[in-house]
Amino acid sequence: MLARWARVACVATGLLSAMGAPTIADETCNSPFTSALVTGQEQFMHIWTLGMPGLGDESDKLVTVDVDPKSPNYGKVIDSTSVGGRGEAHHTGFTDDRRYLWAGRLDDNKIFIFDLADPAKPVLHKTITNFVEKTGYVGPHTFYALPGRIAIQALSNAKDHSGETGIAIYTNSGEFVSKHDMPTGKMGGDGYGYDIGINPDQNVMLTSSFTGWTNYMMDLGTLVKDKEAMKNFGSSMAIWDFKAMTPKKVFNVPGAPLEIRWSLKPGDDWALTATALTSKLWLVHKDEKGEWQAKDVATVGDPSKIPLPVDISIASSRKHLWVNTFMDGTTRLFDISDIHAPKQVYSKKIGNQVNMVSQSWDGKRVYFTTSLLANWDMKGDKNDQFLIAYDWDGKELKERFKLDFIKQKLGRAHHMKFSAKPQSAAIGGTLETYRSLTN
Amino acid sequence: MKLSVLWLSGFAFSALLVGGYAFGNPGAQVPRDLTQSEERRSGTNNAHLPLGLPPLPDTVQWPTKAAVELGKRLFFDRRLSFNNTLSCAMCHLQENAFASNQSAKAVGFEGRTLQRNAPSLLNVAYQKWLFHDGRENHIEWQVWLPLLSPVEMANPSIGSVIERVRHLDDYIAVFEKTYPEEGLTPNTLGHALAAYEITLVSGNSRFDKWRFGNDDGAMSAQEKAGFALFVGKAGCSNCHHIGEQTALFTDMQFHNTGIGYKAMVDPVSSYKVELAKGVFIDVPSSDVERYSEKPINDIGRFAVTLKEEDRWAYKTPTLRDVSKTGPYMHDGSLATLKEVVNYYNGGGYANEGLSGRLAPLNLSAREIEALVAFLKTLDGELSYWETSTNQGVESPAAIADDGPVVLRPPGERE
Ligand code: HEC
Ligand code: HEC
Repeated sequence: MLARWARVACVATGLLSAMGAPTIADETCNSPFTSALVTGQEQFMHIWTLGMPGLGDESDKLVTVDVDPKSPNYGKVIDSTSVGGRGEAHHTGFTDDRRYLWAGRLDDNKIFIFDLADPAKPVLHKTITNFVEKTGYVGPHTFYALPGRIAIQALSNAKDHSGETGIAIYTNSGEFVSKHDMPTGKMGGDGYGYDIGINPDQNVMLTSSFTGWTNYMMDLGTLVKDKEAMKNFGSSMAIWDFKAMTPKKVFNVPGAPLEIRWSLKPGDDWALTATALTSKLWLVHKDEKGEWQAKDVATVGDPSKIPLPVDISIASSRKHLWVNTFMDGTTRLFDISDIHAPKQVYSKKIGNQVNMVSQSWDGKRVYFTTSLLANWDMKGDKNDQFLIAYDWDGKELKERFKLDFIKQKLGRAHHMKFSAKPQSAAIGGTLETYRSLTN
Repeated sequence: MKLSVLWLSGFAFSALLVGGYAFGNPGAQVPRDLTQSEERRSGTNNAHLPLGLPPLPDTVQWPTKAAVELGKRLFFDRRLSFNNTLSCAMCHLQENAFASNQSAKAVGFEGRTLQRNAPSLLNVAYQKWLFHDGRENHIEWQVWLPLLSPVEMANPSIGSVIERVRHLDDYIAVFEKTYPEEGLTPNTLGHALAAYEITLVSGNSRFDKWRFGNDDGAMSAQEKAGFALFVGKAGCSNCHHIGEQTALFTDMQFHNTGIGYKAMVDPVSSYKVELAKGVFIDVPSSDVERYSEKPINDIGRFAVTLKEEDRWAYKTPTLRDVSKTGPYMHDGSLATLKEVVNYYNGGGYANEGLSGRLAPLNLSAREIEALVAFLKTLDGELSYWETSTNQGVESPAAIADDGPVVLRPPGERE
């Protein structure tokens, strides 16, 4: 399967680069199949933003911010494309050629495909409205580039809105290809899904597990008080044979393991994740016998306060990991040079709440946004909604700019993706080529 | 196994009821037979109701297959909500006896918290009053509350629902076939949904076999002891009625059991939260407030009648299939049947309006176990029509026969 994708991708990338079309971007957490890494200065930031009742046009929108310090518009919103209504806008992902940004909504399951031919002006190219009909899944969450394809990890299903779900494969042009249920039954899986992380060298795909529609849509306070609902969180990760798309082993990882980050160093065979409810960092790695194992390697904050670790961002050097804890609005930097014993070395309060973190390839610039889920965000005046940009000098986060999304009548700031004009940045090719160049 | 066959008759349903109406005289409402056919009217004779259930009330028309099939499609169709996300079945889950085990209070449009727990729809045809506060009184009209509620299916108007359905698949053709005179109208939409709901009957439980079917081996000694407590020392059947030949386990009345009052006054200083299986922590409520919406106050039946005695009174629910319908009470505040029995054992949360039928019961641990065991014998057989892979939209070609629906026990097909 992969071989066919790879061929398709080569043709596609060849074509596109001939036309000079693909938008380049980076983020250390993008799929390794994403081409044209930006190893230099990112120019634009696209923020998938949730509409808020009573604010502006009240609709979900893709907000584009100029993040090039040399630009006169640095730190300003230069574009905002509303998609109509609120459907729990959440995550986005590039196609492998970086021409398109797919943006999903977890409530009404619409998927918006933006054309980034001109990254300063994203254009809504296509809307997929039949995701549920095609797949039976609900809550298109992670959009992960494969060669010529995009893998969509869902969170729930249309039968009962519980956490049982799966992965759907689509072509880059938006046609449904196949669906793959998360492991259950004998393997020990709970059927839940959240993130996808692929390590092509090892031919493995790693998945994590969150919760179904009923919980992720519910008011967070109501949820925490609801004993029945609290039982419905994922407690597993699965390692799959990637080419065959079949699960090989399920690990017991209690407390909702979320974002997955593989080490980007060639030859490395480990990934990290954080469990939201139990506040742990978990390592998935190959042991001496070549068996995949999972173990908890660090505690994040004080678990008795439910700090709720959410997004994590691994440095391309694989020496550091940013970990955001939503409840105390704090980001924490972990030294992961000994991957079996990560240590927190720095922390900073970003706001009343913080969710996403994105860093530049060289780790010198770090960006944060605030929204987790519309009904999980803090209430009233604790509901900070902003994008904040920092420089990181190895010791301190120094603020560069802060964009208040409420004052700007935009909404709840969620997922961030960088982009840059094709001719402007240091393009390193795919992560694969980057690896072979630098090591 | 043989089902007892109960013929529908002109059984006076209201004879079951004690007490007066809170408003108007809704009991007299007998909606027109929208399918406009005499045979279909008399076709009710084919209703094979399971053991333990009384004849349906006069206000309920035994439906035709065509109406039931249509109603079933509508019931499972998520496109009936404004954002195509919630069908009736997403809150009334078939696998949870048409209640929901997923949350204490139902979750609605854009994740809004509903005021209350989603009740089971099994045997809903018998309900005199609908909703925990009884604010609706006919099953055909009830559908408009979830369809139009901004926190449930969030449609902006009746007309927009009709337009929406008109543009989905070929519903319009099926409506025209099922209701030749009227086609798709607010009335027929309600009729079709109700038709399906009426077929959700559940009886022939182990209790029914023992009590009404002379099968002494159907219940264990402990369960029988539980029954004796239920109708005796524990006084449960004072409200959860059991008849001579049938039982609905409800008096169709409203009572203050203290649950609603407790939710209002009881200050909670911390919550015990399960972070992962078996991993619990205490979270101070001041922490939870930061990310909690303002809780919705709930004054129960009082909001409907404005009669002082109805403050924090809620409808007595049927207890059939109760093992599958947790969490319990109108607010889902009790997780297990054991918690419910323990609550009653304490006599209910004291307040001015507390029902005089509740008092501390002094049940022993063994008696509590027995009572819980008895409640678990009430799991019925869901003899609704076509036991079902009810996942929604079926081809209208399947809806050819317009004769009356015949109930079959599970596994046995026409
Ligand atoms: C968002 C969740 C939700 C949806 C969607 C929903 N319901 Fe309900 N339903 C509830 C809740 C909660 C209650 C109890 C409300 C109350 O008592 O105030 C209820 C009560 C009922 C009752 C009353 C039962 C009784 O015994 O009193 C019926 C009948 C019913 N619903 C049918 C339907 C139908 C038909 C639909 C689709 C048109 C539907 N529901 C859609 C949550 C839902
Ligand atoms: C005063 C009348 C009354 C008596 C006596 C009574 N109940 Fe109830 N019961 C109710 C009412 C009213 C409710 C609904 C309360 C609410 O929703 O808050 C209820 C709810 C329940 C429920 C929850 C059902 C559900 O679906 O949520 C169970 C179980 C139950 N009762 C069992 C019992 C048992 C066992 C006894 C005897 C120990 C008993 N009841 C005695 C009136 C009564």
